[in-house]
Amino acid sequence: MAKIFIYPTTSLILSDMVERFGHEALGSALGIRERLQTGGFDSPPLQITPDEPKKGLRWAAVEVPSGVRGRMAILGPLIEQAEAAIIIEDADLAFGCMGCARTNELLKYIVRHRGIPVLDLMYPRSESEGEKFVAAIRDFLKSLPGGR
Amino acid sequence: MAAPVRIAQLSCGPEYSGVQNEINEAAKSVGAEIFFPDVTLADIRRDFAELGLDVASPDLRLAIARAKALVEGRIEADAVFITTCFRCAEAAIVRNELRRYIHENSRLPVVSYSFTERTTAGTLLTRMEALTTIARRRALLARERQEGLTLGIDSGSSTTKAVVMQENHVLGSGWLPTVEVVGSAEEAVREALRQSGVAMGGIEAIGTTGYGRFLVGKHFDADLIQEELTVNSKGAVYLAEHQHGAATVIDIGGMDNKAISVHDGIPGTFTMGGICAGASGRFLEMTAKRLGVDIRELGPLALKGESKRVPMNSYCIVFGTQSLVNALAAGSSPADVAAAACHSVAEQVFEQQLQEVDIKEPVIMVGGTSLIEGLVHAMGQLLNVDILVPPRSQFIGAVGSALLASGFIGGK
Amino acid sequence: MKEYIPKYAGTVTKYVFVESPSTRPEELAQRAYEVSEGAMIKETCFGLQVTGRPNEVARIIGELRKLDPNHIFVKDRGFPPGDPRRCRANLGGARPGYHGHEFEIALLPNISHGLEAIESGKKEIVPSPVTRIPEKLDVQRLKMMMDAQEP
Repeated sequence: MAKIFIYPTTSLILSDMVERFGHEALGSALGIRERLQTGGFDSPPLQITPDEPKKGLRWAAVEVPSGVRGRMAILGPLIEQAEAAIIIEDADLAFGCMGCARTNELLKYIVRHRGIPVLDLMYPRSESEGEKFVAAIRDFLKSLPGGR
Repeated sequence: MAAPVRIAQLSCGPEYSGVQNEINEAAKSVGAEIFFPDVTLADIRRDFAELGLDVASPDLRLAIARAKALVEGRIEADAVFITTCFRCAEAAIVRNELRRYIHENSRLPVVSYSFTERTTAGTLLTRMEALTTIARRRALLARERQEGLTLGIDSGSSTTKAVVMQENHVLGSGWLPTVEVVGSAEEAVREALRQSGVAMGGIEAIGTTGYGRFLVGKHFDADLIQEELTVNSKGAVYLAEHQHGAATVIDIGGMDNKAISVHDGIPGTFTMGGICAGASGRFLEMTAKRLGVDIRELGPLALKGESKRVPMNSYCIVFGTQSLVNALAAGSSPADVAAAACHSVAEQVFEQQLQEVDIKEPVIMVGGTSLIEGLVHAMGQLLNVDILVPPRSQFIGAVGSALLASGFIGGK
Repeated sequence: MKEYIPKYAGTVTKYVFVESPSTRPEELAQRAYEVSEGAMIKETCFGLQVTGRPNEVARIIGELRKLDPNHIFVKDRGFPPGDPRRCRANLGGARPGYHGHEFEIALLPNISHGLEAIESGKKEIVPSPVTRIPEKLDVQRLKMMMDAQEP
């Protein structure tokens, strides 16, 4: 079983595909869950404290907006653990963790810079595209350690 | 208890900067609540395309759809708070355009703010208080005439001012540097009462504003404790005798600056800046000290000089002062240095704040710094307008408080 | 600053979406209650949410997927169900993630179709990524087109 970073990190489709084909999906829910289940100072709604943008300095310099650095603090560690990634290129209607275009550019760059296997896709807009989309994911995941 | 004022939030990034709770707390502390206008995916797609501002960030597209839902009346709100990350160019464009779009197409009061992870509820409090006041107290703000015998106190970060008013006239005033908040207020009030020839017992209602408004308000058992954005707007158009129609109010204070777009005496949009001392009255005080002149002489001196003859390399209060010192050492005249200092402050306010409100004439400058003619002149040049400085402009907050307090006479 | 004491520490929550011509959300919920063994089940308009220890949730999800494998989709959720910090009633509007789901749910029939095609062993599927990037025009062809425009 391999750890697969999914982009958009909030994707229901990718989350499902990765787990369905026997791997672990690394998406934003994991980062948010970790924060919600850790004690500390109260900072609703996401339990992201002003310390998180400071942690984000690991991925982006201080002149980068706090929202980018805060998002990177959640998603950066997931990329570091990832053994492969699936990226949907036309993910322009994903919000929240994926709501900032600048963060999204940085996320994709960091994924590619790591040199892990990456599968690039577009959302399937028809049944025939759906066939290719699912088959591509299945083949990609099968090729990874522990794939089935 | 009154129903909370509902403030619609249009934003990108506060949850991820750890400041959403600060926004919620600031709203809560002034009896308001933040909510997110409910839109569907279809709304987002359509409204984003209709507005025609082609931004890449999905959360900004969501903000656009929410703004349209408010303007078109599909969702009701009392006020709007637009907030995005500091230093994000994409968000700054959206923030400005949405502020303008809402201001031009609805009667909703709007404030916009760019946050960092260091933004606290305290920083946001005055803005939220102003938003709720505009939403909740339109009737109070509609007052155009002072009635009865009232006292207004403006407890500012640099100076404390008090005025006594009776039947639309200022009877007396007191002014002194703020040392100890309550003590300074007592002294200013004593002087205002002395000049007026009335006793404290005769005062029918009291209003307070400024940084020390809560403390002073409690001490004097004030009828109205109100932030300076709404009070100064009211005071400015009242003293300038321009209570109807559009106006722009600029107040360069000791600790922060306000630029307010006013309609019929009620703020529509406003900005408050207060991060940099280099853009404040303090910088001019330091310049006067350095030049060995009284702050009252700085303005006339600046009018005799030419700011362009002095190279200013920084807006910073420390490095900017250094530039002025270097210029003096290199033979620049004190008049040129005074003019350069005034220009520097005006330019900084112009660049950082006046871009976020729509400048409509008359432009009224108020507060103690409006008495520095060189500063008013520099601002006028930058905006290319004749700036109006009303009589007693340094007492703007105190007059505004006394005016609004008359609405409380006899427990009204 | 107020102290934060987490609830539901050590649990996971998963969304289970059903987008099917034959399985209704109520049937999914009924099956979930049958196999829940004490794990928390919360019904929603699109399916349900399951909260519990990771192995419990994995077992329940395995059972639910069997119901309609190509039309049931599962995703992790950071929040436990009904959390006031994410609740629409408290926020005034949907949490941001909702619109992302709304977008993807509309595409689920295409995914189901893809899953069925794989299952049926359909031969002619070319498992290449869908890129939709138009291919570059051949230089020779471009030259021919330009020449054809000459007066």
